Amino acid sequence: MTGGDKPAESGMAVRSGVLDGPFNTRQLLRLDEALRVADRSTGLTFSVYIGDLDEPVRGHAEKLHAQLADPDRSVLVAVSPNQRALEIVTGAVARKRILDREAKLAALSMVAAFGGGDLAGGVISGLDQLATHAGRSRR
Amino acid sequence: MSVTETVLVFAGIPLAIVLVISGLAALGGGHAAKRYRPGRPFEFAPVWFLAAPEQLAGAEASGSHASHGELPAGTSSHAALPAGSSTEGGGELVAAPTRIGATGGASDRW
Repeated sequence: MTGGDKPAESGMAVRSGVLDGPFNTRQLLRLDEALRVADRSTGLTFSVYIGDLDEPVRGHAEKLHAQLADPDRSVLVAVSPNQRALEIVTGAVARKRILDREAKLAALSMVAAFGGGDLAGGVISGLDQLATHAGRSRR
Repeated sequence: MSVTETVLVFAGIPLAIVLVISGLAALGGGHAAKRYRPGRPFEFAPVWFLAAPEQLAGAEASGSHASHGELPAGTSSHAALPAGSSTEGGGELVAAPTRIGATGGASDRW
């Protein structure tokens, strides 16, 4: 019994960090699925940061983006609910696939969902939009 | 039916039901509070989602490697420069880091 408990406990410790967040299990699964589909269909790396950003918000989001494995081919969606700020950062290569105009369009729809209190829905539909634009511009 | 029995049946039982239901509601309310509401403070720990989490861990390792590796490389090429041409090479060295600022995207608030 104790042997069986140990992995479960460590698993709980890892998972509790995410489960302490604003999302329930179903939303986490949908978010994970959205990220994987976006990554697979475009070849870019999408990531979502939700938490406070230091001022200037844009600078901090770009710093987070630079920490990714391949910043040029990465897209970071940074959401700060306390500051009510959303930043989408696209790398040098990703920027050619997702034009700033298209990123702004996705940002507008995400912000509309956030204003209604729907964090997960906004992020998921925003990722879907970004991935759609990236896929389209490749052809 | 005595007075005490009447009170027990017509006041005690409804009171017990009210207590049970309000107790259940209080238990359920604790779970529903775990979500973001606009205008209320957001008190959750920051989270960063990636489809493949090792990409971030690898980034931190390779990032520190790159910053460690870049400095000696930069100084060595800088040291090698005076042997070759004098100032033009210096300009090229400065040009390399400007690539970092080539990010795009969008910002918005709600």
